[in-house]
Amino acid sequence: MLSTRFFKLSAAISSLLMLSLLFALLSAFTSVSAHATESLERPDLSSFAAQQYATGPHIEVFLLHSKTTLVPGENIELGVLFMPEAQWHTYWRNPGDSGEAPTIKWQVEQALSFGDIQWPLPKAIPIAHLVNYGYEGANLLMVEVDIPEVIDRSMLNDKQELKITADVSWLVCKEDCIPGWATLSMHLPVAQSSEPSVHSELFEKTKTLLPSSQIKSGLFEITDNAVVFEVNGLSEQQWKLFPFRSDLVNHASTQNLIYSEDATRIIVPRSDYFNGKAQSLGWLMSDGKQGFYVNGVINAGAASDEAEASALSASQVLVFMLMAFAGGLILNLMPCVLPILSIKAMALHSTQQGLSHKLAYLFGVLFCFNLFAAIIVILQQSGQQVGWGFHMQEPAVVVVLAFLFTLIALVLLDALAVSSRLSNVGSSLVSGDSPGAHFATGTLAVIVASPCTAPFMAAALGVALVSEPYITFVLFNALAIGFALPLTLLFLSKKAMSYLPKPGPWMETFKHALAFPMFATVAWLCWVFAGQMGAQAQFALLLALILFCMFIWLLGRSSSGLGKTVNSAGVLASIALPIWLSVTGTLAVSNGAASANSALPFVEFNQNTLKQLRDDNQVVVVNMTADWCITCKVNEQVAFSSDEVRAALKQNNVNYMVGDWTNKNDEILQYLSQYERAGVPLYVIYAGNKNKQVLPQILTPNTVINAIKQAKEDL
Amino acid sequence: MSIRTSMKQSFKTLVGVLAFTLAASVSAKVEVDAPAPGFTLTNSMGESVSLSDFQGQYVILEWTNHLCPYVKKHYDSDNMQMLQRKYTEQDVVWLSIISSAEGKQGYVSADEANELTTSRNAVPTHVLFDTSGVVGKQYSAKTTPHMYIIDPAGELKYAGGIDSIKSANPADIPKADNYVDMGMSSLLSGGEVEKKLTPPYGCSIKYQS
Repeated sequence: MLSTRFFKLSAAISSLLMLSLLFALLSAFTSVSAHATESLERPDLSSFAAQQYATGPHIEVFLLHSKTTLVPGENIELGVLFMPEAQWHTYWRNPGDSGEAPTIKWQVEQALSFGDIQWPLPKAIPIAHLVNYGYEGANLLMVEVDIPEVIDRSMLNDKQELKITADVSWLVCKEDCIPGWATLSMHLPVAQSSEPSVHSELFEKTKTLLPSSQIKSGLFEITDNAVVFEVNGLSEQQWKLFPFRSDLVNHASTQNLIYSEDATRIIVPRSDYFNGKAQSLGWLMSDGKQGFYVNGVINAGAASDEAEASALSASQVLVFMLMAFAGGLILNLMPCVLPILSIKAMALHSTQQGLSHKLAYLFGVLFCFNLFAAIIVILQQSGQQVGWGFHMQEPAVVVVLAFLFTLIALVLLDALAVSSRLSNVGSSLVSGDSPGAHFATGTLAVIVASPCTAPFMAAALGVALVSEPYITFVLFNALAIGFALPLTLLFLSKKAMSYLPKPGPWMETFKHALAFPMFATVAWLCWVFAGQMGAQAQFALLLALILFCMFIWLLGRSSSGLGKTVNSAGVLASIALPIWLSVTGTLAVSNGAASANSALPFVEFNQNTLKQLRDDNQVVVVNMTADWCITCKVNEQVAFSSDEVRAALKQNNVNYMVGDWTNKNDEILQYLSQYERAGVPLYVIYAGNKNKQVLPQILTPNTVINAIKQAKEDL
Repeated sequence: MSIRTSMKQSFKTLVGVLAFTLAASVSAKVEVDAPAPGFTLTNSMGESVSLSDFQGQYVILEWTNHLCPYVKKHYDSDNMQMLQRKYTEQDVVWLSIISSAEGKQGYVSADEANELTTSRNAVPTHVLFDTSGVVGKQYSAKTTPHMYIIDPAGELKYAGGIDSIKSANPADIPKADNYVDMGMSSLLSGGEVEKKLTPPYGCSIKYQS
């Protein structure tokens, strides 16, 4: 009886896991479904009390609620609906060049907590020489409101209703603008249950017009005349960037979008009113139907007017630590990690051991995360930009992980013969009960978690990866502690243990069911591998994985010493083959287009060579670049890859000299400081010793060609 | 170092390059601490007035449109007139400039302009007409109000909003930092302007095109 119930439970849990994985996959492959863009309908006035409604010149304003009543402990959406006349508009949070965002101040004599305004996707509205961001036609600005468990009844009226007041201000514009103010209020009954209100449909429609709840992280660089933004994971569509700050970019200018495989880069001319100082920026990417908010941090080491260290305040560090901690907690639930940890939890029997025994798992996790942090810091010091999961860019690592996950799945399925040594290793890794085994589980858990990212983690790690090394360590440790907490609590506390279901035959079934999320992870790893190495190499990897399973099976069945040796060799060979393939690149499909720079003959930057070339009356084009510099990438994609520029650079007596500042060095720093720059890109064209031109930081093919032409004439 | 190589590869593999054209910026760039663009305009008395007439004096430029709610905010509250009185008394030149094209909001005849000055108790040194919008665009003036301070050497010292709170509500005036007042007092006491460029706010200027 008990066992069947637990079987059902475990089956349900594993199918939930598979479902969540499927959803994750689906959302990775398909973009958010297109939104309905139908306009909001004007509410029927007869359903309104007079105070709930106001009119101003060219606009009507309504105070709306999504549910009929306020239920203690639940939430409700409230909103202000703006209905301007045809051709008149209201504004987004950043109104653009002129105009003003609407404001809503809520007043209520109860501890209701009002969220921020959820702004629907705005439109860029050109007004003569300016551009405004806002809404033509009706739009509902809604907020989510949490209702406390306990409502102070003395503040309600005779009908048990609570009065909610909103002080609203707005600006409605065509070409001329008219500001307006109104104090709107309504009485909502407090009750134990509620139904959708007559206006709930307006709220539902508005929700389809909001940006995605998924917040992306991005980077930006500030150049002399533009701001360059970079966002990963955008499909190739006509995106438009809407900055939160109104003084950042020239709103009326064309935004240039450059798509490449790894990122989308957006170049927008800088606003005259931007002082060039920003460590972090928020913006919205919208294609009119769907949108994403982006949290951007400045690209460390890149060109900026002032090379200020990106120092985080103590409170910011604390917030990011909390985010990392929460991310670590949630990471426990990810499909790659949960099976291993559940087995571990199930296998816990006694809590009589010493403290070091109990904390061995925590130490394993801390050790592994600190190792990750150390590798990242070391790579950063050598000038590389790496992130969480950076090792996934290495096909050999992907192969090893695929075998590891297959092995874990086989262990979970009890497919390893009990007597075999592999089985012992496998099961003690996961369910052994010695300090060493706990430490190993901790390490293993971090390794299997490394391909996954949990909510909150991305932002915190994004900061960790661009900050001072000690902040990187602080954030990784916060993440580690969050990650280790659930299982460590089980180790430490009998009370927590008592919440676990009692052991029984159901555990076997549960364990078997957990093998499937593991297999799903293997499928994903194979897909990643295919992206790196091509379909042929992926086929080889799949065959090797099957051979690996077969040899393990044979190993369990062989009784003779020879058979064991042969089959062990088979296991090792099946792992070695795809690693060899990925290290040597055999079967790998070349990614087509060769890089612009590698095909262009260039001279490595060197002060002496430069001096010599100038003394020889040569034209020298100096390009100071770095692998991590977004603006440099944009220029290489746009200007230096054009045929005309390449032809111009290949002319006689034109020399193309490239300085690579990826691993910062003093010689280049000295050169940069001659031009009062703290970072790259820097482009200088010399006409021997006669003349020199410093090119803008954002190039077009024509800028380069004309500058070379000019230099040749100067000679 | 194959991590690095694979990163390089992914960086350099182009999927597509979309329309890349550097858009010429619509208007000239405002540059503080650089010479202010010179101009000659006709005032509401029909006389010709040039910026160069005021060499050796501080000059404040105010772009205006009497029908704009943001301009009304500062005139109905006497905030703008207060600034005009305070600084013209200290030998500062105050030029109110109207760049509204004929037929557009804020366009007025010379008589109407003089009548507005009287009825609003305003005391600008001159009210100037820039109906073609040439001077407004030279200064990259975007909104009404949009304020500029030029020093006795003819250098632009401030460009931007009148104060720090973007609203049409007169109740916000006492709460806001008045950038023109702060900048001007600092300059007159021999100091530097702390905020030289701020985003202007208000109605868009009703240029001819």
